Amino acid sequence: MTTSERQPDAPGASSAVTGINPRITAGIRYPVDGGIPGEWHLRIIRSDVPAGRVTGFETSLLDDEIVFISPDDVKELPRFGCQIADQIVLTREPKFVGDAIAAVVAPTLKDARVAASLVEVSYEQRTAVYDELAALRDESPLVHERHHTSESDSAYFDMRPQDGTNVCHRFRIRTPNLRGREEVAVVTDLTDPDEPLADAFDDAEVIVDEVFQTPAAAHVPMEPHAANAQWVDGRLEVVTGTQTPFNMRQDLAGIFGIAAEDVRIVVPPMGGAFGAKTFIRTEAITALAARLTGRPVRCVLDRDEVFNEVTRHPATVRVRLGAKKDGTFVAKRIWAYVNTGAYADCGPGVAQKMGYAGVGPYRFDHVAVDSYCIYTNLPPGGAFRGYGAMQSVWASERVVDMMADQLGVDAVELRRQNLLREGDTFCTGEVMHDAHFEELLDDAAAAVDWKRDGDRAGKGVAIMLKGMQTPSTAEARIELLPDGRYEVQAATADMGQGASEMLTRLAAENLKCETDQIVVCVPDTDRVPYDTRTTSSRSTHMMSRALEEAARDLIEHGRVGHGHVSNDGGLDPDTGQGVASSHWHQGSASADLVVDEDTGVIALSTLYASSYAGKVVNKHGAELQQEGSMTLGLGTALFEELQFTEGQMTNPNLSDYNIASALDVASISHRVMELPGAEVHGLGETAVPPVPPAIGNAVASLGYDVRQLPMTPERVLDARREQEES
Amino acid sequence: MNLTLRVNGRSVDVDVEPTTMLVDVLRDQVGLTGPRVTCGVGLCGTCTVLLDGEPVSGCILMTPLAVGKEITTVEGLPEDDRVVACFDKHHAFQCGFCIPGMVLTAREMVDKGHAGDREEIREGLGGNLCRCGCYLKIIDAIEEAAR
Repeated sequence: MTTSERQPDAPGASSAVTGINPRITAGIRYPVDGGIPGEWHLRIIRSDVPAGRVTGFETSLLDDEIVFISPDDVKELPRFGCQIADQIVLTREPKFVGDAIAAVVAPTLKDARVAASLVEVSYEQRTAVYDELAALRDESPLVHERHHTSESDSAYFDMRPQDGTNVCHRFRIRTPNLRGREEVAVVTDLTDPDEPLADAFDDAEVIVDEVFQTPAAAHVPMEPHAANAQWVDGRLEVVTGTQTPFNMRQDLAGIFGIAAEDVRIVVPPMGGAFGAKTFIRTEAITALAARLTGRPVRCVLDRDEVFNEVTRHPATVRVRLGAKKDGTFVAKRIWAYVNTGAYADCGPGVAQKMGYAGVGPYRFDHVAVDSYCIYTNLPPGGAFRGYGAMQSVWASERVVDMMADQLGVDAVELRRQNLLREGDTFCTGEVMHDAHFEELLDDAAAAVDWKRDGDRAGKGVAIMLKGMQTPSTAEARIELLPDGRYEVQAATADMGQGASEMLTRLAAENLKCETDQIVVCVPDTDRVPYDTRTTSSRSTHMMSRALEEAARDLIEHGRVGHGHVSNDGGLDPDTGQGVASSHWHQGSASADLVVDEDTGVIALSTLYASSYAGKVVNKHGAELQQEGSMTLGLGTALFEELQFTEGQMTNPNLSDYNIASALDVASISHRVMELPGAEVHGLGETAVPPVPPAIGNAVASLGYDVRQLPMTPERVLDARREQEES
Repeated sequence: MNLTLRVNGRSVDVDVEPTTMLVDVLRDQVGLTGPRVTCGVGLCGTCTVLLDGEPVSGCILMTPLAVGKEITTVEGLPEDDRVVACFDKHHAFQCGFCIPGMVLTAREMVDKGHAGDREEIREGLGGNLCRCGCYLKIIDAIEEAAR
């Protein structure tokens, strides 16, 4: 019996499992639930200073059985990092408040906590820098002296570090007529006149040039990071919650000087990740502790540590948009300043995506983008649902509305006039295919009853495109088990997005069997073939193709079938030309709201999003991804912001950092735009980026021009005050 | 101190300090994984357990205060529990980490008649956070369970 034929009230009706789904009844084990028998517990000792040097550790109060690990114990281990090799397992030169400088290992968690509190650290403090633009000034301290490109597979494009500055990567787009100019390496001033490229705007009769900001934000996976490690006959085994098992295998092998095949990564289903569980987090220090103690070791982060482990990049984005009086867009210029904190992590990749997503799904004669990934002494920024697109779409879609105001035209019609359509060329040189922007725009506008000549006070729309990780490789294997069932072996990590559900349904469809004949093994690098990683909304798209091939191979050859697909591409970092994405995530959003003029509180009556899905594999899963993205986008728009004082995060807890609750979602509705026969499109993040500008445009239509997220009541009222004063 | 707790209809002997939180005892000594720690300050609801039918945050409840009361975790709900069945029918979960707490909170709302409409359900869920953002389907599930 297939899922669709089940009685709607029968257990398991909504998912491809038999009986009640075990996620409801605590029938699955997350990394935090597991553990290796006999393991000891690790606590990380973290820097109190944002920049400086550890001058000494006082450990005389520690009991004899406590194992203390200091930077001296990692001297022989090489630097690592997924795109820039700028990290060290424990550092003597901390670069943010919370940087790992030492560790203790004890038989119980309680002993480890006590021991960590007994270690006294002395520092020599140095000057720190927190703001991305301040970090570009000549007098700014350098967070890192040099920027070494990582050897890791995750460094999938050429880095352009700017030596002698805090810029570890510069990504540029220059459409053909704008190349070969004499330009400065880094534009450091938000009012720079942009003389070398000014002719791009020669045909523009109206120019809007504005600056927008987005803050650091927290992923808040409900399950904290939990890693378990042990060494077995010279092999390292790690059981951890990670979206990047094969990147982790490679990076740990590099750190410990062993073959990748001698590292085994096992990934139980995670209690949420949203980008927070990517690349090496606590796994290297946990593995080192296991090696030094000769025992299994476990490390579970406290909530304040989860907040500080990795964040969403704060960004300042300047957008210059030029149009003719008839509304035709002529040129776009973007400067994106991406604050990657103390370590690059995947900040260079985020900067690249922020750069081209900010151009938006529009036609231009000329496009020039500079996106800078900048070190500061804040906690590191990393992958975050929306991956850079949110920050630049916030700016660019607000600017489209400002242009509509300047031209005195309808904001929806202005978008429609300039949208990319099938066969148009994007600023990267890619020809658009499977483009559905106009339909998405109309859908969003209709949801708020947008009328061309009607009253649009309190209404806003936004539209965007976002890329998928390219280049990218996915492999999958299907094995016929002795009992007649099929086992799917794939590295796609289940973080709640429904990975095993997706693999089950696709395998059953391709093998023309029932879903209860399919079992999906836990991602285990000893058992599953290579996959790039579970990020960028790529997995359902890539695995749908790999599984199709694996099923075909199995049917042809018998017991085991192997599928292998890869997408070539990538962008030139100096011109932005190439293949940004093998397919496009396309989405729109709209909002209808009122603002309380006394309090500045925004009350939404409608928040709508429409995303192009192509073929839907799992209806409930697709809807949930969309609703989850919108809920995150809502929090991003209205209240989520990490705050810092002298580099120290001041709200690393859920009482001071608010995330959306059931009380916030009454206005949400959406459409997953399905097209039978189309290829599978990723849906994991599409509805995040358009939500904040849709709300922002609606708020601005009421006279509150807010440039900085989140749109708190204070900022809303300040925006009106500033407008009145000017 | 040695205490006897009533958990899911059974008596369990545990050895705790007076300040040990109930969620830690249930996880580390009773062997349950349904109650979970996320925020650690009683705000997010992943540690929710029922104490004589009332939802409480196990991460801020000192264990001695639970003595003499019936503690129910998601593992203690009957196999055919209607709230569980409705969560399943509506696919009201993604990662699932917050769901046992949601189910127990919903169980009490349904039992006490506090799930009359969607507005009341949203109010009742104010102390249970879900970062995957499954609220709409969770509300659908509770609405049906209360019908």
